[in-house]
Amino acid sequence: MTAILRAADIHTFYGKSHILHGVSIEVNEGEIVTLLGRNGAGKTTTMRSLTGLTPPRQGTIEIFGKNTTHWPAHRIAGLGVGYVPEGRKIFGSLTVLENLKVPPARPGAWTLDRVLALFPRLAERRSQLGRQLSGGEQEMLAIARPLLLNPRLMLLDEPSQGLAPLIVREVMAVVRRMREDGLSVLLIEQNAPLSLSIADRAYVLDDGRVVYDGRAADLAKDSDLVNKLAGAGSKAVRQSA
Amino acid sequence: MQLLLFNAFNGLIQGVFYALMALGLALILSLNSVINMAHGGFLVIGAYLAYTLSPYLGFWGALIVGPLLAGVIGLVVERGLIRPIYKRSDPLYSLLLTFGLALIIEDLTRTIWGAQGLPLEVPDIINSPVSETYFFITGYRLFVIGITAAASIGLYLLLRYTLLGIRIRAGTRDLETTAALGVNIYKLRALNFGFGCLFAGLAGVLAAGVLGLTPPMGNSLIMPSFVAIIIGGVGSLFGAVLGGLLIGLAAGIVTTYYPAASEAVIYLMMLIVLAVRPRGLLGEEGLFE
Repeated sequence: MTAILRAADIHTFYGKSHILHGVSIEVNEGEIVTLLGRNGAGKTTTMRSLTGLTPPRQGTIEIFGKNTTHWPAHRIAGLGVGYVPEGRKIFGSLTVLENLKVPPARPGAWTLDRVLALFPRLAERRSQLGRQLSGGEQEMLAIARPLLLNPRLMLLDEPSQGLAPLIVREVMAVVRRMREDGLSVLLIEQNAPLSLSIADRAYVLDDGRVVYDGRAADLAKDSDLVNKLAGAGSKAVRQSA
Repeated sequence: MQLLLFNAFNGLIQGVFYALMALGLALILSLNSVINMAHGGFLVIGAYLAYTLSPYLGFWGALIVGPLLAGVIGLVVERGLIRPIYKRSDPLYSLLLTFGLALIIEDLTRTIWGAQGLPLEVPDIINSPVSETYFFITGYRLFVIGITAAASIGLYLLLRYTLLGIRIRAGTRDLETTAALGVNIYKLRALNFGFGCLFAGLAGVLAAGVLGLTPPMGNSLIMPSFVAIIIGGVGSLFGAVLGGLLIGLAAGIVTTYYPAASEAVIYLMMLIVLAVRPRGLLGEEGLFE
């Protein structure tokens, strides 16, 4: 397997606060990799570093063999990196259709029609404003939007946040579907059992450092470790163990 | 009654200029996050370039090319001077920068074209009064209203229906997410700044036809245009137009009864709006309250 994303020893800051202390992660072609950790462990910062929104001050990031460490966000997206930000970040004053037209469409299998076919609720509500959608619909829109870039790598930051269990299952089905389509996925989740159940590999971050790196299935078995490291969402593991 | 109509119509024309200026200012404020103190400078650039070009292109050609050139110069200024300071999130930097730019443009204009006023020749066909009773309603003034309406509608259609417009609106709401979705926000902001300056240039050419040209001609228009944005509501382009027309009309009407207060009434209106409805008439909740 070849790594399509490789972050090596990245150090990222917000102003003067040092958030990531040398994080190294890899995503291989066709893999679902999950990034776990407590609130404030640096998961979102890692993703913001990868997307170019908060570039690291030290270390290097390579995506599809290109050194993107200091590229602006739009160039990284233009390589075929889709990003579903934390909190969905739907453009509330734009319609569903307009939200889908923001990303400059790259040629590929994902067309507007195909995306709308995958998300029939969005097709029904295409003329509604983003802010009029339910949380689940907004999440679907947040996932649908970067698909129009025809990405080869998707970065998802807590797609299940604040959603009803039924919708969460739907979101996870879409993530699996992406892999079937040949996309690689990096997934941040608070809900560790959920993301470990669909991921191939997992990283656990704590205090801006990688403290676990291994197969998702192995981590899922070690409920003590999950409890200790992955925080809130791990309760379910304890109950089921 | 005749006097009231006369003053109200004068005020309306003045308001049209405020509205055009406020529209460009609001565009630039919302996407570029720049309080463009040099907006009056771009008005002057548009007006003087139109003046210089009109012997070659005629009034009509100059009316188009003058504002376009102001827009292009705006683009260059954005690229060279404004872009490097986006990183500094404090709006003070761009305020100081554009303030300095305004002074430079005014003095450059004085150096190139001289300090004395110049006239912009307007074709006779649009310069005669429409009727004798309402002598103040000249064809040119109706023309100014028409062009402004057309430009505003054009901008609305652009923002509403084109990909560029959709991305400008998206960037206004959330620049970061727009960039992460692959939109080149540098280009987007440059174009947007250029559009804003184009509108300033258009206001300049149209105003020159009524008021003539002087190097500080932008100064008297820029403060009321900021007031128009505050009254109309920051973040609302339609609000900016409405605010401009309202304060122009109010100033005109007050002139009839108490001329000395015609300027003060604008600021009084702003005071009332800020006290009663800080977001402005059409502004969105959350920006100031």
